[in-house]
Parts: sequence; C-alpha cells; structure tokens
Amino acid sequence: MQSLCILIVGAGKLGRESAQRLINAGHRVTLIEKDPHTAEDAREIFGEQVIQGDGCDPKVLERAGVARTQAVIALTGDDEDNLIVAELARRVFSVTHVLARVNRPDNEWLFTAKRGVDVAFSPASVVTDLIKREIDRKATGL
Amino acid sequence: MHIIIIGCGRVGARLASLFGSAGHSVAVIDKNAQAFERLEPSFKGTRLVGIGFDRKLLMEAGIERADALIAVTNGDNTNVVAASIAIDDFHVPRVVARIADPIRAGIFAKLGITTVSATLWTSAHIYELVVSPELHNLLSVGSAGVQLYEFDVPNLIVGRKVTDLTVTGEISVVAITRRGASFVPVLATTFESGDRVLVAVDTRSITKLRSMLGLPS
Repeated sequence: MQSLCILIVGAGKLGRESAQRLINAGHRVTLIEKDPHTAEDAREIFGEQVIQGDGCDPKVLERAGVARTQAVIALTGDDEDNLIVAELARRVFSVTHVLARVNRPDNEWLFTAKRGVDVAFSPASVVTDLIKREIDRKATGL
Repeated sequence: MHIIIIGCGRVGARLASLFGSAGHSVAVIDKNAQAFERLEPSFKGTRLVGIGFDRKLLMEAGIERADALIAVTNGDNTNVVAASIAIDDFHVPRVVARIADPIRAGIFAKLGITTVSATLWTSAHIYELVVSPELHNLLSVGSAGVQLYEFDVPNLIVGRKVTDLTVTGEISVVAITRRGASFVPVLATTFESGDRVLVAVDTRSITKLRSMLGLPS
C-alpha cells in the first residue's frame, strides 16, 4: 500500500492507537484533538503531529493540512461531531477516503455515503455481532 | 402547522411559546428534561427527552407530518445533523438551523440548510447601532448585498421628491409611513416633515445615501 497522508480527528485511545499503527505502516498521520489535556498527552507521543483544536471547524482542518490528506478518520466520542467532520471532509475539502466511528448504534443509519462517509464502524455493534456469532456458533456445536 | 423544535434553551422555549400561542401544534425535544422548565405553564405541546437527531424520537415527534423543523440547540453540529435529516430524509418543507460559528453557517447555507447565525446578526446590528444611529438597519437581505434602512426624514429633504432620493440600481424608496399610515410611494411623492422612510440600499451605496441625507460619514 502506498504511503498516505492521514488526518485523524479525536486523539483518545482509539485515535492514538490507530495513529501509531498507521505510522508504523509508513503513513504520515496528523491528529486533531479538542481537549487541551488529551492533546497534551497525545503530543508526548506524536509531538507536532498533534493539533489542538476543534476538528469540526474548517479553519482547524485547514491548519492541520486537510487539503493534502487522502484520508480523514473521525474518531470523536460524539456522533454529531463525526458526521460534521465527514461532511466537511467530503463536501468542502474533497478528501478521497472518509471513515467515521459510530458511537451509538442507533445512529448507524446516518453514516451514509450521502453524508460523506465511505466507511462507518461502530465498536458497540462489532462487539454485539461478535458475541451473537459466538453464542450461535457454540449453540450449533460448530 | 406542526412544528418540531429541537433544543429547549432560551430561543427554543421562546419559539415554542410563539408557535404555541399562534395555535400551531408543537413538539419540543431536548436531551435534558429540566430544560422544559423554561416553557411557559400554558404550553400545551409535546415534550420529548432525547437526542435531536435520533430517528425514533423524531418519528415520535411527528417529523413525517411536520411543516417545519427548527434546530436551536447549543451545539452547531447537532443542529446541522438534525436539519439535514429533516431536509434529506423527511422532506420537511421548512427547516432552520442555528449555527453560531459564522464560517460554518456560511458553509452549510451553501449546502442547502437555512442557517441563522446569531453571531453574524448580532455583530452586524451592533455595528450599525454604533456607526449609523440615524439610519435604523431593519434587515440584511440575502447574503448582506442589500440592506433595508428606516429613518426619519431630515429637514434637508423635506419638500423634495422620492425621485431625488432614488438612484437606479442602488437606492430605492420602498415605503413611507406618514401619520400612522404606510404606503408605497411613487417617484413624484413629496417628502413631508415627520415621514418615516424605508429604503432598500445596495450595501456599497450606504455612504452615498448618508451624504444625500446630510448625515456625517
């Protein structure tokens, strides 16, 4: 896979872990984090690749170099924020790949291509699906 | 009409009253039940606790038959998401979202959401109050290319005609209020002392209007 420029919005655990793996795989990653303390924590690992600011603010996205990125990943804890990041990334900045996290499974229906999301993933749904599959598997004795 | 209001803050509660007392059917949504305390005791509409862009909640609020959806929570992003659902998924005829951030308001306005940015309106209005107290700015039309101003006729133009104050494509006298009655003037209408005049002005021609009225620039 070619080396990409990737922008991750949300430097919580998932954002940091993902960023580290992507960097190890040879990509250039920038992180945006709204909370000053969380941003500070992230800076200790990623240094200047962390921008402290609101990733839903077009000015902050520009400052983080969104125009140069091939992928934006919205990993905040708020679905409405992730949707706005996706909308801005797709419609305003024409980013090629847009991925977004769904925090509340009830909101999954919103994370569509029409709203700028190429890939949506919901940790809660994944866990639920896996548990169901595991229970079914054991039940049918496979 | 059936109106859905998302966000029962000061603006939401006030809108609920306005629509409720005008006889419309109102459903108010807020993620915090305490917010409904802002509603007047006489409010007879529906109160729903939950997230403003939750599909089940919106259905419960009657979005399928809503004539208008107004998103006025404190969160710009929630307002935009709720508004886009109302427009794209439920085809609600009138949708307004409050977006405090002027830049985002501009962006989402271009993407088809009618936005209200109190930041823009308030700052423009205060600017006018300080800079142009004699000209009362009533309305900024569209994206602020045209302004509507109201003023009391200065002595300088008493006895002159509407045509003297008219500049084609720049300044147009829209209405005159005289002794309590308002009318649309013709070019030959003469200004009288005590008239209150409403003009539409191209924003770039405001200085011209001021000098025609003998006001300092």
